[in-house]
Amino acid sequence: MITLIYRGIIAIVMSFTVWNLYTEKKIALQANAAIVLIPLLLRLLMIK
Amino acid sequence: MNKQIITASVCLLAALSVAGITGKNFMEVKKPDELRPGPGVTQTKMLSDYFPDIAGTNADSTVYVMEGEQPGGKMLVLGGTHANEPSGYLAAITFVESGKVEQGTVFVIPRTCNSGFTHNDPQEGSPQYYTIQTKGGPRQFRYGSRAANPLDQWPDPDVYVHAASGQRLSGSETRNINRTYPGRPDGTLTEKASYAVRQLIDTEGVNLTFDLHEASPEYPVINATVAHETAMSIASNGMFELQMAGIAMSLEPSPTNLHGLTHRELGDYTDTLPLLMETANASQGRLRGKTNADLVLTGKDKCYVKAQKLGFLYVPYDETGHPIEERVGRHLQGIYEYSKAYSAQYPESPIVYNGLPSYQELFLDADPSELGGTQLGKYLN
Repeated sequence: MITLIYRGIIAIVMSFTVWNLYTEKKIALQANAAIVLIPLLLRLLMIK
Repeated sequence: MNKQIITASVCLLAALSVAGITGKNFMEVKKPDELRPGPGVTQTKMLSDYFPDIAGTNADSTVYVMEGEQPGGKMLVLGGTHANEPSGYLAAITFVESGKVEQGTVFVIPRTCNSGFTHNDPQEGSPQYYTIQTKGGPRQFRYGSRAANPLDQWPDPDVYVHAASGQRLSGSETRNINRTYPGRPDGTLTEKASYAVRQLIDTEGVNLTFDLHEASPEYPVINATVAHETAMSIASNGMFELQMAGIAMSLEPSPTNLHGLTHRELGDYTDTLPLLMETANASQGRLRGKTNADLVLTGKDKCYVKAQKLGFLYVPYDETGHPIEERVGRHLQGIYEYSKAYSAQYPESPIVYNGLPSYQELFLDADPSELGGTQLGKYLN
């Protein structure tokens, strides 16, 4: 159960990060958001 | 489509590509190494056969059963308790691939903490694999972590309380299988794994248990055997033989107030005689230099040579390092001498096997240019 809640939190943070990626005007900050997505995705899928 | 959307999509695609490539790699390291059991293996079981709760989890592990033609005692060899201590893992594999039991039954678990092999310790720079040239060609073996994968068991508590004794340890030790014995059927995944080992010992009536480890060269308990008081007699007798074979080995009594380890809890909670052996592994040490597969196999490290000169180490250390043949050879010779001492002390249930290289064959008589994996590979299929 705790793992499902944890993954739910990650999914929410990911959705905010993707939203930030598409609303951010500076390309450096877009890249920053994209980099943040990598570990979030790997953890959401429980790969790493 | 405006420029902002295009650049965001490019960044997203790049991130997904990186996640895909790294994710594939992380998934691949979770696959167990291919073992090639020799004719000595008569049956293959799983740890979950003894405790079904761990079936389908990363705590489950293969148990190789090697039954002799004549009845005798029963022995368990635990390799891979800590997946960053390769000599224990490789000694167990060598047993499975080259050993042949004549009297009694030997159970071998090469990956006792299977989950520990599915990841590396963060910030250690450990190699994912090391390669050994064997009779069947080059083979990759996994270098893992001291503890189970946090993906398999989380979160770590701030303080780990050992259930059976109330002993308090650092929170991360909750994933160290050698701090969780005797285990609990309703505990954490790691406690369930140690409970499964205990169930195997009880169900099969294992007389003698070896837990194979490595230690940092700066750690005091090294090139040592730790014995429960019930195993001290055979350990003492075996020690004389090891000394005769040119193996400097210290004998340490299992501390009565240090809980969760095989040499304490398996002796207290089961009828087996537990022994734990340690060899010198620079790749897990704190003083090491460049960390790579070569260090794992040769033990050659300039930093440790310097540390030796400064008197910081508990083992001799020079430019020749501590090759894997020396370390695996110590384990195999130790198992041989202690099991021989057991058979002498309990002649009604002897354990006799052959086919394994001695310390002399594996290390002392080897061509120095073949140390570091090639010599050991001659005994792997």
